[in-house]
Amino acid sequence: MSRELSASRAHATVAPATQRRLGSQNLAQFGAYGLLVLLAIFSLVPFAWVVLAAFDAHATIYFQIPRTWTLQHVIDLFTEADGVRLIVNSLIYTLGATVVTIIVCTMGGYVLSRFAFPGSRVLLLGILLLRIVPPTATIVPLYLLATSLGFRDTYHGVILVLAALQTPLALWMLKGFFDAVPIAIEEAALVDGASRLRAAFQVVLPLAGQGVAAAGLIGFIGAWSEFLIPLVLISDQDKMPISIGMFRAWISYTQVDWGLLAALSITYMIPAVVFYVIARRALQSSIAGGLSGI
Amino acid sequence: MQPVRTWRDAVFVIAFLFPALALLGLFIVWPAIWAFAQSLTNRSLTGPAALHPQFVGLENYRRLLQDSEFHASLGKSVLFVLLSAIIGQTVAGFFIAYLMARRPGWQLRFTPVFAAIFVLPLAAPETVAALAWASLTTGTPEGLLNRALSLVGAGPVQWLQQYAFPVIIVVNIWRGITFAMVFFAAAIESLPTSALEAAMIDGATAGQRLFRIVIPMLRPQILIFLMLTTITTFGIFGLVYFLTRGGPQNATEIIGIYVYKRAFQYFDIGLGSAASVVLLCLLLILGLYYVRLMKEQV
Repeated sequence: MSRELSASRAHATVAPATQRRLGSQNLAQFGAYGLLVLLAIFSLVPFAWVVLAAFDAHATIYFQIPRTWTLQHVIDLFTEADGVRLIVNSLIYTLGATVVTIIVCTMGGYVLSRFAFPGSRVLLLGILLLRIVPPTATIVPLYLLATSLGFRDTYHGVILVLAALQTPLALWMLKGFFDAVPIAIEEAALVDGASRLRAAFQVVLPLAGQGVAAAGLIGFIGAWSEFLIPLVLISDQDKMPISIGMFRAWISYTQVDWGLLAALSITYMIPAVVFYVIARRALQSSIAGGLSGI
Repeated sequence: MQPVRTWRDAVFVIAFLFPALALLGLFIVWPAIWAFAQSLTNRSLTGPAALHPQFVGLENYRRLLQDSEFHASLGKSVLFVLLSAIIGQTVAGFFIAYLMARRPGWQLRFTPVFAAIFVLPLAAPETVAALAWASLTTGTPEGLLNRALSLVGAGPVQWLQQYAFPVIIVVNIWRGITFAMVFFAAAIESLPTSALEAAMIDGATAGQRLFRIVIPMLRPQILIFLMLTTITTFGIFGLVYFLTRGGPQNATEIIGIYVYKRAFQYFDIGLGSAASVVLLCLLLILGLYYVRLMKEQV
């Protein structure tokens, strides 16, 4: 349905100059849309099982059309202590890390956008370089650090580590968003007698609000989806986030409640996907753009 | 941008930058340096060597050099990156984007429906993606892939036993190809149409237009995407570990899984640290090139 709709829309935009080649254009467009549909199927097929099993009274690890549909798995997930605990833990880690990331990166991003100081350029590039260090490469010393500082199996320890991992990208994004706010606006406020702090918080911050939100969403997705950090730093069953709960359930292969695991997967996936869609534009421009002023 | 002139400004700058730099320093920079320090010791996760690790110099690196499993792991990582990130995501994603992107006399829009679908493989947390693929590739005849095979009279195939490495390559291509395509389509459509139109009038073939105009003009974006996906793919852990735990018989033991197993399953912190230092150096070299590309962008 959507395919026909979009095809006819694309039709309308064919330039008059190329009308005579319409025949081959049509064929090519048909082929292109065919490719799009194939890619869409490729993207969707793996999720078919997750969605169906979550509502299947007799769910298995296999894809099957449910004979008996049920909401019981979802209800169980949100009423049984184990499921609720996983979700609450994930929310604690993620919201904690997101709040920390937003606060420190809004402050840092503002300063990086507004001030030039000796080494500021090197610092900016250094932060960009840190963006590429994955937890895979630092997990061993992180574990030792967590042991010696005593923050293994603590909420605040994991929150700080997750926040640190989101910081390089968020700092860069926020610096970019602050760069887009004309400096004249806060200079006017400064001339009017506002303090630097007041100018930053009451004048500039509201104008960069969208950027702060976008950086927050992207930080949320990163922390929400993290697997290795809690796998290594959390061994207390009561403090495990969803990703580790899923892994634990999955490796206990023979006694898995597949319907419940599928319901948990969907619940886990929804916030990540929704936020991703909202922040998509900012995310894509953060790959190549948003680098002015360096 | 203004220079820091007064003490007030200096205090402001330091106070505002400090929290972010403290986080980065404590949880990224320090562990990276600490990994190197640990790699020079015989520290273990348990036993006497856990409490009193001794300095052993480059012993761990010597062991790495002689460890055929490490060589195999590094080789698998390189192959994994080459086939999934470079060929499967970047090259294939770019060509599909080129086939579909707007050009003179042709406009194709990703409808919101397509855009939403294409986001799913990358937006889903890696554990969900891995679990979904585990279901798809189940080795018994009831697995969806095996049922598709049985339609043409083949199978069933024990995917994660017989073809674990190809499976993780396909999974990683699946995760990134649509993102690459949407990213490159936007880049191609942002090119000025005048150059392409002039080339078409001059009779340049589609291949000439692609290799002489589009790719050279998009060189920075292509390279930046390539570097980021290469770096990300070298650092992959959860996606593969969830699916295969590195098996069967180390068939999918990419470098991240090698590090994890040495440190946390064999309790050999020294060897695990040495391997993560190798990974870190590799990533830093790629990262420095990435930073240089980003600098040129401006």
